[in-house]
Amino acid sequence: MIYVCTITLLETDKVRTFTTLAVVTLVMPTDTAVVLAAGEGTRLRPLTRNRPKPMLPAGNRPILEYVLDALIEAGIGRLCLVVGYKRSRVQEHFGPTYRDVPIEYVVQSKQLGSGHALQQAEEKLDGSFVVVNGDRVIEPSIITDVLEASKTDDAATLAVLERPAANRYGAVVMRDSTIVELIEKPDDEYRLVNGGVYVFDQRIFAALSETTRRSGSLLLTDAVDLLIYEATVRGVRTEGLWADATYPWDLLTVSRALLERGLIDGDHPETDVWVSERAIINENATLQPPVVIGPDCELGPGAVVGPNVALGQNVTIGANTTVESSVIDTDTRIGAGSTLLDCVTGQDVKLGAGTVVPGGPADVQINESLFRDEHLGAVFADRVQSGGGVRCKPGALVGTNARIGTGVVVDGHIPERSEVVR
Amino acid sequence: MCGIIGCAGRGDETLDTLMHGLSKLEYRGYDSAGVALSNEDLSVRRKAGTLDALRSSLSGQTLLDGDDSAVEGDGLHDNPVGIGHTRWSTHGPPTDTNAHPHRDCTDRIAVIHNGIIENYQELRDELAADGHEFHSDTDTEVVPHLIETALETGMAPEEAVRSAISRLEGAYAICAVIAGVDRVFAARNDSPLVLGISEEAYFLASDVPAFREFTDQVVYLDDGEFAVINKNGWRVTDTDGNVVEKSINTIEWDPEETGKSGYDHYMLKEIHEQPRALRQCLQGRVDEFGGEVILDELSDLDPEAVQFVACGTSYHAALYGAQLFRSIGIPAQAFIASEYATSVPPIENDLVIGVTQSGETADTLSALREARHRGAKTLAVTNVVGSTAARECDEALYIRAGPEIGVAATKTFASQLITLSLLTLHLNGSEDDREVIAGLRDLPSNVQAILDDTNAREIAEEYHDSDAYFFIGRGLHHPVALEGALKFKEISYEHAEGFPAGELKHGPLALVTENTPVFAVVTGDGEQARKTIGNVKEVEARDAPVIAVTDGVSDVERYADHVLEIPESTPRTAALLANVQLQLVSYHAAALLGRPIDKPRNLAKSVTVE
Repeated sequence: MIYVCTITLLETDKVRTFTTLAVVTLVMPTDTAVVLAAGEGTRLRPLTRNRPKPMLPAGNRPILEYVLDALIEAGIGRLCLVVGYKRSRVQEHFGPTYRDVPIEYVVQSKQLGSGHALQQAEEKLDGSFVVVNGDRVIEPSIITDVLEASKTDDAATLAVLERPAANRYGAVVMRDSTIVELIEKPDDEYRLVNGGVYVFDQRIFAALSETTRRSGSLLLTDAVDLLIYEATVRGVRTEGLWADATYPWDLLTVSRALLERGLIDGDHPETDVWVSERAIINENATLQPPVVIGPDCELGPGAVVGPNVALGQNVTIGANTTVESSVIDTDTRIGAGSTLLDCVTGQDVKLGAGTVVPGGPADVQINESLFRDEHLGAVFADRVQSGGGVRCKPGALVGTNARIGTGVVVDGHIPERSEVVR
Repeated sequence: MCGIIGCAGRGDETLDTLMHGLSKLEYRGYDSAGVALSNEDLSVRRKAGTLDALRSSLSGQTLLDGDDSAVEGDGLHDNPVGIGHTRWSTHGPPTDTNAHPHRDCTDRIAVIHNGIIENYQELRDELAADGHEFHSDTDTEVVPHLIETALETGMAPEEAVRSAISRLEGAYAICAVIAGVDRVFAARNDSPLVLGISEEAYFLASDVPAFREFTDQVVYLDDGEFAVINKNGWRVTDTDGNVVEKSINTIEWDPEETGKSGYDHYMLKEIHEQPRALRQCLQGRVDEFGGEVILDELSDLDPEAVQFVACGTSYHAALYGAQLFRSIGIPAQAFIASEYATSVPPIENDLVIGVTQSGETADTLSALREARHRGAKTLAVTNVVGSTAARECDEALYIRAGPEIGVAATKTFASQLITLSLLTLHLNGSEDDREVIAGLRDLPSNVQAILDDTNAREIAEEYHDSDAYFFIGRGLHHPVALEGALKFKEISYEHAEGFPAGELKHGPLALVTENTPVFAVVTGDGEQARKTIGNVKEVEARDAPVIAVTDGVSDVERYADHVLEIPESTPRTAALLANVQLQLVSYHAAALLGRPIDKPRNLAKSVTVE
């Protein structure tokens, strides 16, 4: 017994159908990108106490969002994130997909270098793939340039940029379009730096397995060094925003660069004032461009915010408080009548009324090195709480969960969880 | 309690689509599963056990042509329609033969069903008397035989399905396919069913995640409605066959909110999502400098008294809500929904609030119906837009937690507490609101602080082989103690009980030994804290290990063996924060005991049977 029925029934009255849209697929030979996001970034302590460096703010979004945006805009259709240090912060933020591109997470449980990080992703990869650092803001064009220049025969293709401070990054020596040498600690003569944006094929894994570890760490650049002797490593001269935060004050520079170039997520680019529609700005508050105000923020009467200020989510700025050239991260609350210049806060910082951070050049000690005349008012790490009337000398670094009593003058480093009463 | 899916227009990906959909519906039940594909022929495969059992029985096969196949045939690759089912047993144990889809005597009709057919025995007797053979213990199996009978009388397929459905009493969401008919037929009464519309395919399912990957356009079906899909379109009709104009809703959340994304379990992922969930809940609803709470979706409510009805974790949220209402001078009581109808309290100008995460909890729905029947105004506090509770109640207030997959409720409990807190502030604008609102706005970061610094795992390591676990708290911490114990027993399978701290000495203290850790929630240093500390001393004197969940304001640490620290906050938010620490202890204890955390035995995510 067969019940025959035609489909016409559903094509007649009261039936809604959708027209099938033609889908044009661009053929991208390299579809996958590996993003190295497992590192802490020790030179950014104490801001990295609760999250890895890629999750620190660039403007008012995590650096890593800019990295993933650039990859997706360059046509990448599959993301593989190597996570480790405080990985839950990355996983929670991005979930299983970002902008409809699927994300796979690979765990590097011990941070044993960039090469070791890439090895963890080996079984997820075939053919060629892109590798980028998750802690540097880059423009899509840098990735596109590398993808377009990459040839099937190349074992590796890498972005090369001209930068004055090559000694901070590692330089390259090029002959025509071929990399002939990587210089780890270049002197001032070098101008071309390794951009940390690569296209590799499977040969990188053979190189990695032959690379000697240095005090336990396996570095990607050492493996590339080996490849130079065995195959073609192509260099691609490219330019564009390539902003790296190595030290806390760099976060101010990176945010300023993004604000100046208008690379902020949101509307109103013509006025350089980006305000989330979920923020509540008192009618008597003033926004000075460029400035970005995140969702759920509240600004009290008489608050003056900007120029060059980025407020994350749910930030509260009290009445008559002035904030200038600062990055204020999510859930931070600044009491009424405060003045903050050149200030970086972590998340959930609570500053009492009348806090004064006058800003200006400072000598700052990071690990063993002393940096002179850096523009840094103060750094308040996650969950610092201060009473009213606290004043900070330029370059103050306050550790996570520190408690600062009313009227204290802060100078230099305050360790995490310490209590300062005078 | 089951999950169903049907689809048309997926071509040779029909089977994959069904399996994917079922994996998203597993939270609704997972003791057996099955699928059917149909075009000229019908083929069925079903299996007791989790979806993996079904998956492995299908592995390597592109067609369903194995042992369980009804009709051998090779035509199934030619754009079939399909249905799939994941089951949580109500009638008959979880076996292959009780798994859906069920078929008629000719093996040409397959039916899946979520709900309970109350008159199935009577129908079955009647059909059996006519010579129909039954193979399962289920109520569902009467449906394909009813359709078969109707077709034999010469009815057209749709008419036949319609006539079969008209015979049913009870709760159902049903999908049926018939060999030789290119359509999926569906009907709804008291069980959830949504229709999904994409550019080239159409879907029917118990819940949106089943097809969210393919479309964000959905139509919510109402009770008594009948739907038909094929590869070209869809149509919804009422009981009499008249076409119903349905509005198409756009789902705003993404499939990205499902998937474990690097966490070992959904439960841990959802615990970590709480800061985000709370932000979503508060979004656009609070104005700190203005001292206001704005709940746009509610009309003017001015209840003289409030009754809460809820089950399980939601009942604990209701207890919390009732206390907040009483604190603003509105008489309020919380009732366990399944007990409510047995002894309905007097209703006069009362607002009856149903708290249900899914909006489909049968006990809560039936209590709300009882209340409405007696003239009460009703309000649903739920996570699911378009759910039955949301549609049936006079008002709906959404907790906006996003989809929750883990059977043990975590983020939705937090969001329920905050939503109820917002509700009382909304009804009672008062002077001190600004401070309370500041406390709410600080909540996401306070939860994050716990997630960053918790020592819950060490506590779990120390105590996960104890005899029993007790949780005590007073005032707003009483529901937290109950919830802490419920979470612990649900996923660890260990004996755990929560008590109001003062009740301990009236009986349960007899259970306390050196091998029964007691979790005491103590915040602030007021009267309640001092009294709970007195109870802590009682258990300490019996050598029980004490774990204090505290903000460190009182000196409870002196009497505790361990401390689970929470940030200092307001009384109404402290309860929520303490609960996060207890969620983490339960999670880690269950993980150390090797329990299947996301799918505890015998439990299902939303219980749609009474």
